[in-house]
Amino acid sequence: MTYLLELLSSGLAIGAVYGLIAMSFAIIYKSTGLLNFSQGEMSMIIAYVAWSISTGTDGNPFIVAIGSIGFAILFALAVERIAIRPMMGEPILSQIMVTIGLSVIFRALVTLLWDGLPHNMELAAGNALVDFGGIQVRVAQIAVVVMLFVAIAGMWTFFRYSRFGLAMRAVASDDGTAQLMGVKTGRVQMAAWAASAVMSGTAGVLFAIAFELSPSLYGLGLKAFPATILGGLDSVIGSAFGGLIIGVAENLVGGYISSSLKEIAGFVIIILILMIRPYGLFGEKRIERL
Amino acid sequence: MSQLSTQSDLVAPFLEIKNAQIIYDNAIEAVRDVSLSVAEGTVVALLGSNGAGKSTLLKAVTGTLHLEDGDLEKGSIHFAGRDLARSKTDAIVRDGLVLVPEGRKLFANMTVEENLTMGAHLKSASELRRLKQTVFELFPKLKERRSQTAGYLSGGEQQMVAVGRALMAEPRLLVLDEPSLGLAPLIIDAIYETIALMRRELNMTVFLVEQNATQAMNLADYVYIMENGRIVLDGPAEKMRTNLDVQEYYLGFSSGGEERKSFRDIKHYKRRKRWLS
Repeated sequence: MTYLLELLSSGLAIGAVYGLIAMSFAIIYKSTGLLNFSQGEMSMIIAYVAWSISTGTDGNPFIVAIGSIGFAILFALAVERIAIRPMMGEPILSQIMVTIGLSVIFRALVTLLWDGLPHNMELAAGNALVDFGGIQVRVAQIAVVVMLFVAIAGMWTFFRYSRFGLAMRAVASDDGTAQLMGVKTGRVQMAAWAASAVMSGTAGVLFAIAFELSPSLYGLGLKAFPATILGGLDSVIGSAFGGLIIGVAENLVGGYISSSLKEIAGFVIIILILMIRPYGLFGEKRIERL
Repeated sequence: MSQLSTQSDLVAPFLEIKNAQIIYDNAIEAVRDVSLSVAEGTVVALLGSNGAGKSTLLKAVTGTLHLEDGDLEKGSIHFAGRDLARSKTDAIVRDGLVLVPEGRKLFANMTVEENLTMGAHLKSASELRRLKQTVFELFPKLKERRSQTAGYLSGGEQQMVAVGRALMAEPRLLVLDEPSLGLAPLIIDAIYETIALMRRELNMTVFLVEQNATQAMNLADYVYIMENGRIVLDGPAEKMRTNLDVQEYYLGFSSGGEERKSFRDIKHYKRRKRWLS
């Protein structure tokens, strides 16, 4: 029983990491129709910057949090302005190729600016172990689950009740018509990139604290992308749950069946679910009048 | 409005298109040398069949031509003193030129109320409340259906939402692109009654683009007819209604009188020739 609970709790924690990054994919897709394949790499760069801030400031968690969120926003806006904005209106495939190119550049940048070795991200508060009736969990693992639910609640409120959130949904539904209402699609795109960088950056930093920081951190993006598909590419909140499902499933398969199957467990689930619900678990069905 | 002889007799026109030539992809000429004007407080109809260039002209007016690689090569388009060829869509909307797009283009997954809110995107929260109330008074049915998903409404109700959404931007010039497209005759009547009502109640200037000539001509003060990218005929509506060519080709009456005549009975070359003279 303890074994199951251990698998579940660490599965939820890694699932929350996937979930946050999956939400980042979904928010950019939803508001601009673009898949940002450099999401995992952006998350990795933000984690490295957080590590530099933490080693430079004796690991004060508040300075690290504020510093890395600030960096995430500036970084995302810079990427959007320099690489993505000029591609607006170009074929979507070319835009996706740009993000793939960015991902290669970011991976190289990490080894260039820092190094290729794994590091422990020492952040006293985050590394501490908490005992939950015999199950040991790191604070960072709890934090990432909490952050996921904060992000879910925040996004839900934002899309449902704020005017700007509504405008983002309108752009997602029909950007040409949204422009006719006076919506500036460029601003929507900037907001989507900033929000996605903050969410995926949080995931990257907390993952680095709970496990380790290394140049293979970008692989989180590859795991999170299927979670987005599972939850529904255009469903920001569905993607969060997609991440949790994949994280838990991976851990259960790895723990009970075989650790070599762990990596593919998530993908098998996705194929099965997409056969039944092609638009994902929570994706919006296109309304078509005949 | 019957005293109008030509549009240009009026005070400075609200919307003025001068010798516009619009080219897509640097190769396809969709609009050639088109001039037209809409005076404040009038209803102007632009009629023409599919592919006449009507929608292209509207894209130029709403600043969305560039989205489809179109370009205003020659001529000028002005609205209330603003050069529309050099304006962004949000600035045009802010000035009060608002389009009800062809095929309604509602945000299908959003509710009726959310669609209306989007129409007032450039308005403050208090203006939004006031405008919503005005639109709900004009269309009580929308108030009933405010929390329903727009995509599941009937065609007529959707058109009502589309018009309501445009009104939320407080238009000074309301542009309607084929409001009767794909709707049943009874619903078309209702839509035209609504337009007539808005004109009476809100004293709104309307630029109506239509294939459905009968209804549009009954409502309009001034009519332009477009074919193959050019204006082939224009005049005050009551003159146009009695014009034999228009009766024959657009209203479906033979010159003899009340007997209906099919469009197909008229030889193509004959139509072309008459328009050119």
